[in-house]
Amino acid sequence: MITVIAIDALEYNLVEEFNMRNLKQEYYGKTDISEFSEPRTMVLWSSFMTGENKEEEILAKGDKEMWNTRIPHEETFFSHFENPFILDLPGYNYDLEQHERERRLLKEFFMEKDEEKKREIRKKYNENAFAHHRKIKERFLEALEGEYDFILGYFSVADVIGHLNFGNRMMMKMIYRDLDEIVSQVEGKKIVLSDHGMKAVGVFGDHSEYGFWSTNFKELGRPKITDFKSIILSETK
Amino acid sequence: MEREHLKLVIVGHVDHGKSTLIGRLFFDTDSLPKEKIEEVKQICEALGKELEFAYVMDHLEEERSQGITIDTAQTFFKTEKRDYVIIDAPGHREFTKNMITGASQAEAAILIVDASEGVREQTRRHAYILGMLGLKQVIVAVNKMDLVDYSENVFNEVSKQTTDFLERIGIAPTYIIPISAKEGDNVAKASDRMKWYTGPTILQALDTFKKTEKRDENPLRFAVQDVYNIDGKRIIVGRVEAGTLRVGDNIIVLPTGEETTVETIEEFLKEDVKEAPSGKSTGITVADKLFIDRGHILYRKGEKAPHLLKEIKGNIFWMSKEPLVVGEKVVFKCSTQELPCTVKAIEKRIDSSTLEIIEENAEKLENREVGEVVLSFSTEVIVDDFNSTPDLGRFVIEKNYNISGGGIITHLER
Amino acid sequence: MDYLDELESKSIYIIREAYKQFKDIAALWSIGKDSTTLVWLIRKAFYGKVPFPVVHIDTSYKFEEIYEFRDKWAKKWNLKLIVGRNEEAIKAGMGPHMGKLQCCTALKTEALKMTIDKYGFKALLLGIRRDEHGIRAKERYFSPRNREFQWNYKDQPPELWDQYKSKQEGEEHIRVHPLLHWTELDIWQYIKRENIPVVELYFAKNGKRYRSIGCKPCCSPIPSDADTIDKIIEELKTTNISERAGRAQDKERAYMMQKLRALGYM
Repeated sequence: MITVIAIDALEYNLVEEFNMRNLKQEYYGKTDISEFSEPRTMVLWSSFMTGENKEEEILAKGDKEMWNTRIPHEETFFSHFENPFILDLPGYNYDLEQHERERRLLKEFFMEKDEEKKREIRKKYNENAFAHHRKIKERFLEALEGEYDFILGYFSVADVIGHLNFGNRMMMKMIYRDLDEIVSQVEGKKIVLSDHGMKAVGVFGDHSEYGFWSTNFKELGRPKITDFKSIILSETK
Repeated sequence: MEREHLKLVIVGHVDHGKSTLIGRLFFDTDSLPKEKIEEVKQICEALGKELEFAYVMDHLEEERSQGITIDTAQTFFKTEKRDYVIIDAPGHREFTKNMITGASQAEAAILIVDASEGVREQTRRHAYILGMLGLKQVIVAVNKMDLVDYSENVFNEVSKQTTDFLERIGIAPTYIIPISAKEGDNVAKASDRMKWYTGPTILQALDTFKKTEKRDENPLRFAVQDVYNIDGKRIIVGRVEAGTLRVGDNIIVLPTGEETTVETIEEFLKEDVKEAPSGKSTGITVADKLFIDRGHILYRKGEKAPHLLKEIKGNIFWMSKEPLVVGEKVVFKCSTQELPCTVKAIEKRIDSSTLEIIEENAEKLENREVGEVVLSFSTEVIVDDFNSTPDLGRFVIEKNYNISGGGIITHLER
Repeated sequence: MDYLDELESKSIYIIREAYKQFKDIAALWSIGKDSTTLVWLIRKAFYGKVPFPVVHIDTSYKFEEIYEFRDKWAKKWNLKLIVGRNEEAIKAGMGPHMGKLQCCTALKTEALKMTIDKYGFKALLLGIRRDEHGIRAKERYFSPRNREFQWNYKDQPPELWDQYKSKQEGEEHIRVHPLLHWTELDIWQYIKRENIPVVELYFAKNGKRYRSIGCKPCCSPIPSDADTIDKIIEELKTTNISERAGRAQDKERAYMMQKLRALGYM
């Protein structure tokens, strides 16, 4: 049994600065995603679940269609488990409508010229992301009580909120603290993994060129995101 | 009218609620920017959490660490009587040196004790330091009363435990107050959940405190810092450590014992200055051409003279990884005096976290230990009673160019 | 003595201590209100005869008003003014468009290093305040720095009772902070009492004023009607606006949009 807490855009430097002990666990470091041309969420998670670099395949779908990617269960390493629980993972089973709403509001925010309206959009955008996070958190904590042989929970809040608010350290710290608490409630072997990190552009957040990993059972050095398939399968055999 | 400022330090064991109390003091006195609280509250709600003051404080700390200018309102809180400046003093034992640095500037202190945990290691160490620093205006806040059902019995037990050990180190707390910083009981508002307590709230207690006593009326002590030649004038610069210096005063220079008169008090762009009160950095010219240099102390003829000693006894708090060793030579600094001294004896070696005597006539004093030590000098050192002239009654020890210990002179007679 | 007298006395004491210990000393003068207050206090400490140089690190991007103010008062106050510039980087076209951090490093940090090396300063007086800096309890009045200006704050000696760290051979240099205990409000009240001149940019014009001044491209004014010291003091006492205003946000927005497009978000 192993639990993966998949956190979009969890930034190594912030975990360090805020000294989030549960996110760090015993072993932690950066992942190497230099094989990819850009740190794209959909590309990275698809590559993670299949253990193969999926960049070309995903990009071929185009900017719009790429977000609708659903990789069949049999092609993922989840199929090696009898009773896995996968929560809201992009490229697999995430809530298309929810995440599309996020992207739409993000676009609206940047297109809007009026400051007052911008503020309103940001508010709506944040509220929407937080509401989703609360829901996901609840479902994840419930799943921890269930009879699964593999659990993966995907948390998008740090990425979604980060894009418009990364310069708001308070907000980011509260989010990291919340994620830290979530990790603390997981028992047994666990991996915390992000696709990429985040760097500040003023108050906004851009993806950084490495991801974050941590485990409570093994030093991983500087793994690639595609290495996790075999790491997880060998740990559960 | 300029408002009065009082410098306050809040100390205590880690997790006994220091930052929550600070947050509560800011909050209940409306000293926090509203939109900051609102912001934190919204994020708490968004994450489904309860608002905690610690988060608000965290927020301010984050902004500060990012170099964002902090509004002045956030560095102090106000009551009707005055403004309180909170001096930061970290609780962890690794930060004892920072704690001392902060607390040495305070005029009053709150020692916070967790009602459910009672006195702990840092409580004792911090209390000892408050005593050593000479802080007399001390409130003991028994915090987290909400966790012990606001029980009078628990409060009585913890207060007894606290006062017992404070007594041993010579501190008589001005107030002992049962509070819940989290819920706001007895901080700004009297608690209706602890009807059995009839004393003041934290704010009421603070407002009874006085600014550091002015020592303008004490016997004069002027510590010479340097001598400047400005436009042919020989100006002796320094600080009035006690008393009031006046033009025309007959003064005696120590250690030489020579006598002269204060001709002028020199201040830039000011003419005809007649006096300089205690605490003032100033400069003087004197009637006679005497040898006067840094480290000399001037006092007024006819007043009580400071002591000239070749040996002193004091209590030292040691704060260096390199121990203080009997027989070694270290540098003694007291006011503007700086001279070598020999560690003649460490009569008692005390653990600052338990306040137990570890050893008598010890060879060494280790990091964070307290010692009763005897220091000897090859030339005379000018010292005074700590209570009348603190600056001449306390000293630091430098070892390898670093301040490694601070102490109070306990015995003036040899 | 009143509150401002106490602040002043402590600062003068520290300035005199620093000069007593280090003859190779200089004061950093950014021409802002804090360092101008520092220069004022230094003048008081030495009766108008400032015995060491005053250094202005010039990035070449400062406001015109800053240069005028500097030259006027340096002359009036008879200061030994040293202007430190990283000429090479300026010639090479370094500017905020090449990245704010890189620009500050080259034109401020490097220029300061070069100036320290050239004149062999062992100590620098700086006008920083506790209330503007993070990790407040950690800063000291006397703070040693190594060659790279790094500050080992984790293990510094304590500082108490106006006793400061002694000079040590081999240490690169010591920074001395005589204004550490002042707040922004204290500075303004003192400026008012002493009638200290400050750069006009601090005062509101057309509904805007600068709360801090530095390089032209990286400073933006805050909305304010405070056109006198009294009004500034009143503003500081009453308002709670944090100062994140302005600051080249439009550029950031444009850049962010471009990035989000590249990542497929929009």
